[in-house]
Amino acid sequence: MRKVAIASVGLTRCTSHRWDVTYPELIREAVDAALTKVDLKPADIDAVVYGTMDPFDGVFASERWNVDACAAAGFHNKPFMKITTGGTTGGSVGLGGYYHVASGAFDTVLVVACQRVGESLEAQTVLNTAVDPIYERWIGGGAISVAANQAVHHFHHYGTTEEDLATVAAKNYSNAVLNPYAHLRTKLTVEQALATPMISWPLHLSDCCPSSDGACAVIFASEEKARSLAPKPAWIHGASQITDNYYLGDRPWFHDWDSLALLGRRVFREARIHDPLKEIDVAELYTPFTVQELIELEALGFCEKGKAAEFVRSGATALGGKLPVCPSGGVHTTNPIGATGLIRIGEAALQVMGEAGDHQVPNVRRALAHAWGAVIGFHTLMVLGADTP
Amino acid sequence: MRMPRRVAIVGVGQTTHDEAQGLVYHELDYQAAKRALASVGADNGNIDTVITSGWDVVDGRTISDMHTCMAAGGYLKECSHVGEDGIMALVYAYLRLVSGLFDTAIITGHGHLESDFEAVSQVVYDPLIHRPVGASYTVSMGMQANAYMHKHGVTEEQAAEVVAKNRTNGANNPMAHLRAGVTVGDVLTGDMVCYPLRALDLPPRSVGGVALVLATEEAVRRLTDKPVWIRGLGWAIEGYELGDKDLARISSLDAAAKMAYRAAGIGEPSKELDVAEIHEATSFHELMAYEALGFCAEGEGAKLLAQGVTAPGGTLPVNASGGALSTNPYGATGLLRVAEAVLQLRGEAQGHQVDGAKLALAHGLSAPGGAAAPTNAVAILERSRGGGAL
Repeated sequence: MRKVAIASVGLTRCTSHRWDVTYPELIREAVDAALTKVDLKPADIDAVVYGTMDPFDGVFASERWNVDACAAAGFHNKPFMKITTGGTTGGSVGLGGYYHVASGAFDTVLVVACQRVGESLEAQTVLNTAVDPIYERWIGGGAISVAANQAVHHFHHYGTTEEDLATVAAKNYSNAVLNPYAHLRTKLTVEQALATPMISWPLHLSDCCPSSDGACAVIFASEEKARSLAPKPAWIHGASQITDNYYLGDRPWFHDWDSLALLGRRVFREARIHDPLKEIDVAELYTPFTVQELIELEALGFCEKGKAAEFVRSGATALGGKLPVCPSGGVHTTNPIGATGLIRIGEAALQVMGEAGDHQVPNVRRALAHAWGAVIGFHTLMVLGADTP
Repeated sequence: MRMPRRVAIVGVGQTTHDEAQGLVYHELDYQAAKRALASVGADNGNIDTVITSGWDVVDGRTISDMHTCMAAGGYLKECSHVGEDGIMALVYAYLRLVSGLFDTAIITGHGHLESDFEAVSQVVYDPLIHRPVGASYTVSMGMQANAYMHKHGVTEEQAAEVVAKNRTNGANNPMAHLRAGVTVGDVLTGDMVCYPLRALDLPPRSVGGVALVLATEEAVRRLTDKPVWIRGLGWAIEGYELGDKDLARISSLDAAAKMAYRAAGIGEPSKELDVAEIHEATSFHELMAYEALGFCAEGEGAKLLAQGVTAPGGTLPVNASGGALSTNPYGATGLLRVAEAVLQLRGEAQGHQVDGAKLALAHGLSAPGGAAAPTNAVAILERSRGGGAL
């Protein structure tokens, strides 16, 4: 098995609609940032892996529009692969880049993920088409309703409260202020959060992510290449993804996240992690809704089941805490859907490389990047580390 | 491309490709996966990773792999999904297997009639310049055919010979969709769809699913005594703007073929290959593919066909199965080329077997926008375990 590392990360500014750039220009912004940082030219890229969720873009196959901006075509005619897996798309293209290099076929692979949610009329209407047309669509099945279900179950089983969710929201908002690439960059107090409108009980507006336009580019490299490109590459210690069933009614576990727990055990075993809380220094979890941050902390073994609210109240997940969670502000403050999972990987890599800027967590040896998708059916995980695996 | 571990295709499954099977798209993946697994006496418990394929916008649902991954046996497994023709699922599964992290994989693709693909393909084109003039999958393919005709003096009659050959072949394939042979005259008197493409120059729209089971060398023995080894893979994408390139040649196929030949150590494809399955988007595209694949020089495709080289009984039969012109489950058509090549190498191509086929080429096209940034993929497959570039 070949060792693989992330050598560079390129991010774009994210807003509700990036009117200032065309789609290829948005891609170019991320790709240029990633290439420039390590002084690579488009011709140095061996292959490209690209991800977006077309239905949220309002166009079909945006990779075709953007292929030249990805340095894959023009005169190049390069290997190029499009991967789409819902909310986990960004995580899945990260895994795609990892396997491209791990296979031995390529040394320098450019991974690009993007989304212009601002081009679609309403993301939730699009997402509603993912669920069963007969049993689930008419009840408004989609991301918000399923997250509200998770929250109701968590409240019922573990006594979690709206205040607990607001505490998570205030933490993420204050982190986002430090991140120039975040979408929502305003302070939010617990009181302000609780005063925002109810979206789907018990989720307030402040518990829900925005919809964003944005892109992310990450360069995956072989051992030799990574060392020559980056002073401190972020090595992949473990990575995998999992697919759960798709009928909401088939899930007895809204308050827990069993498929994520199973995936966590697989990936931590691969990364030789025995006590995640001790051995992981920072986590970029996929939290479009505050309650999911709590459930994920429990599923991944950072705290006991039902104890995440207490864990958060203790300050453990804040910047400066035992396990800073989403120092970038996370999905909760920035969500260009298809790109979001790759932004988690990119942010985790930047933390390991010591390049996260104002939201840098000191001395990160290991970082965790997560994504979920497919109406809570899919997960991806990647553990990145400063030490060669 | 270096290949640290050997990977073989061990199981093949496909549905029939009738127009009205009454199945939802992921049921096609399910039927094909079930057959592919049964063909090696396995079930999804034997599979480590699953890659499905297709386009959400064509399937009419976002995150269509919620359904296809599960249908292919992916419950609680490491699944992914390519937004491409199924032949790119072969590429991704191959990369996963050679990485050393998995021993077995299943891949699936499906084609259906639930959406008007031609209308959907218009949305690949930019809304200001190309979309208003009607740019689409078929229109761009017509432009390519036209450019090719004029650059090399190819005639409609010569392209019609491709249709006659493939449809005659399709009549011999019990799994084909269109099983009635046609003549050159039938093609030339057909309705003009988009100059120079007449109705029979274009593939039908078929409903069907295709699945393959893949295994690394270590796992092959447990599953089959008739493995078909992947000796080389190549894939590449072209630029987007139709006006930026020479439409008379398929440059991404040329690049993909070179990559695959390099991996497989093939210097003279027309001499070394025994059989080829080509994803011909139109009759003209089969001639263009001969050239991009190096079967003949540029502009000589029609001559190669006229010499009978690519006919059954020729030295390099192409599309003995009938090709896309006989069976076109759009989204799985490229993967079906691989499945057909595997059947040829196993001596199981019922009614259309090429005698003694040992080395085969399969080509798939993944092109939601037609000639605008198409992806072409090439697989070199062999029956014996000899050779192979590492």
